[in-house]
Amino acid sequence: MKIRTLIAGTIALSLLATASFPAAGQMITLAARSGSKMRIEGTSNIHDWQVESPIIGGMMEVGPNFPLEPGQAATPGKVEAKAEVFIQVRMLKSIEKDGKPYMDSMDAVMWEHMRETENKKIVYRLSELTLKEAAKAKDAPYLFEAKGDLAVAGVTNKITMTVSVLPLGEKKLKITGTTSLKMTDFKIEPPSPKLAMGLIKTGDDVKLIFEWRLSPPRVPAAAAK
Amino acid sequence: MNENENDALGYNRRDFLKGGSVATLMTMLGGVELFAQTNAAPAEAKKAPAVKIKVAVIGLGAWGREIINTLMRLPQAQDPIDVEIVAICDTYPASLKRTASAAPGAVQTADYKTILDNKDIKAVIIATPTYLHKEVALAAIKAGKHVYCEAPLAGSIEDAREIALAAKAAKNLVFQAGLQMRSDKQRLFLLPFIRTGALGKTVLARAQWHKKTSWRSASPSPEREKAINWRLSKETSLGLIGEIGSYQIDQAGWFMKALPKAVTGFGSVMFWKDDDRDVPDTVQAVLEFPHGVQMICDYTLANSFDGEYEMLYGSDAAIMMRENKAWMFKEVDAPLLDWEVYADKVKFYSDTGIALVAGKSGKSDTAKDKSKPEQPDPFSDTPLSFALNNFLRNADEFSAKAETFKTSYGADDVDGLMDFLAKVLRRPAAGYLEGFQAVVTAVKANEAILGSKRIELKPEWYELS
Repeated sequence: MKIRTLIAGTIALSLLATASFPAAGQMITLAARSGSKMRIEGTSNIHDWQVESPIIGGMMEVGPNFPLEPGQAATPGKVEAKAEVFIQVRMLKSIEKDGKPYMDSMDAVMWEHMRETENKKIVYRLSELTLKEAAKAKDAPYLFEAKGDLAVAGVTNKITMTVSVLPLGEKKLKITGTTSLKMTDFKIEPPSPKLAMGLIKTGDDVKLIFEWRLSPPRVPAAAAK
Repeated sequence: MNENENDALGYNRRDFLKGGSVATLMTMLGGVELFAQTNAAPAEAKKAPAVKIKVAVIGLGAWGREIINTLMRLPQAQDPIDVEIVAICDTYPASLKRTASAAPGAVQTADYKTILDNKDIKAVIIATPTYLHKEVALAAIKAGKHVYCEAPLAGSIEDAREIALAAKAAKNLVFQAGLQMRSDKQRLFLLPFIRTGALGKTVLARAQWHKKTSWRSASPSPEREKAINWRLSKETSLGLIGEIGSYQIDQAGWFMKALPKAVTGFGSVMFWKDDDRDVPDTVQAVLEFPHGVQMICDYTLANSFDGEYEMLYGSDAAIMMRENKAWMFKEVDAPLLDWEVYADKVKFYSDTGIALVAGKSGKSDTAKDKSKPEQPDPFSDTPLSFALNNFLRNADEFSAKAETFKTSYGADDVDGLMDFLAKVLRRPAAGYLEGFQAVVTAVKANEAILGSKRIELKPEWYELS
């Protein structure tokens, strides 16, 4: 029993160590929340296409100079922030423009091209965050330049994008952004499935659009007592 | 049914034309073989079905065995899905033995609770006698299993209500009633066609099921007699109107987007008088729908002529549905357009049926020689196959999304999870409400048949809470 407890404790500590970030002064942890989603838009020789994941997981740690509340004063420049974001590849589903599911078999093609069996997740790790423009009003977003590593299908590339951070109050954040990528940069061959109407050829360029919602981790009921 | 009524049903002709394929357009213009937009699967994707799910089948009578055979064929379906039948269950050892070869590798058990205890099994399919559904369905929902419960859901309104309320409360689970027509691609294809008023004003519906069969299975002992031939006793069976009619009545109501307002029935044992059955072998029922539309249902176990079909009659055309095929019969004064010329036609005595066949590919979209359009094969999958396929996909989607939600956002956000799952789009299937409402109609229709009377069906009877 003691050995089992020791093992469980070790595992728990290891998980904590990997899930959280190195200790830093007054860092505040935020966790992903429901309401997040990511959309990828692309083109093909017959029509444009889109896929969506309704879930974006991950954690973020921000320093005291990060604007967590609406209208909080903030000075442009580098801010202390770390984030790890992940999306399960299987959650990506092809959809019609109106949001209805498009085609299961196309999902299977997409997952195969993303080498899903070996790479279950798309992972983004933030390495540098710079405030470019503070909020112009209490309900306006803060604009940041985010630099980080994006790992898709087992290939990691450095990307830089503009992200918009909207504090919603009570340390809740809505982070949105858009970036353009090439499938081939991640060694993904643009799919060309054969349909009855002929060969579909998808374009190499895709646009990634995301909305990531965060809030402080909930206090477990037992701990709250 | 006028144009405004059609709009109220959620479709209008313009939208349908705009959103439809060339083939759909052809049909709207007056009748050519219809090809459903099935988004034919790329050959590349056939290699690996996207879904793999472990299921158990509880109840191994003739229909239970049909379900197992259909499940085993799903990996080869037009829209393939990988299914593993982990366990089969029946309290009768001979049924287990008879079914074992159809589900190789499945654990055989006489106790359904062992299935519910197995955490690997995500979904169960309940095909026990109707009057025994409740206990198993409630226990399965309580055990956190996705449930496909054969229709009718129960033999009484009270039992059906209990099942439906439990299913409604289990927001993290998929519950599907076995009203398989609601998942059938052929019928889903016809739905907007009918609702956009292609038949003109709907005036009449009709359904029949004629089969020369005793409905009796050989019983090895007097003790087994009651269990095996539960359909033949009023105590345990809703008779032909419940076991057969509830599917067809539900379908008519679905097409017309309406519930029946009254039912009148007749029935008697006309032919199979030599056994002690008290369930009529020949029944008729008239269901009164809104706008004066009546549905005539006609079932017999004494004659097989003309088999099984459903019809909807309108002022411009009638539609006949037989299994996974359908035909349209147009009136001479109905709008006549060019495309009818190219349609596949079948002679029905003095009438000509224009085939309304939902095809498996969109060949007609690219047919260059319009004078001789290519005719894709009709769907070979059965309504049951589509229903099980949709159930398993919905169940898999629910489980995967719930799991990912918990991994991503923590298991403590229960309200968030329920809100999230409520927004998950499901493939078309009958749910707990449709299943419950079908039982209300079936129970009352059976009551009308047994009492040779008319019963008004109060709208509140169809309300679940």
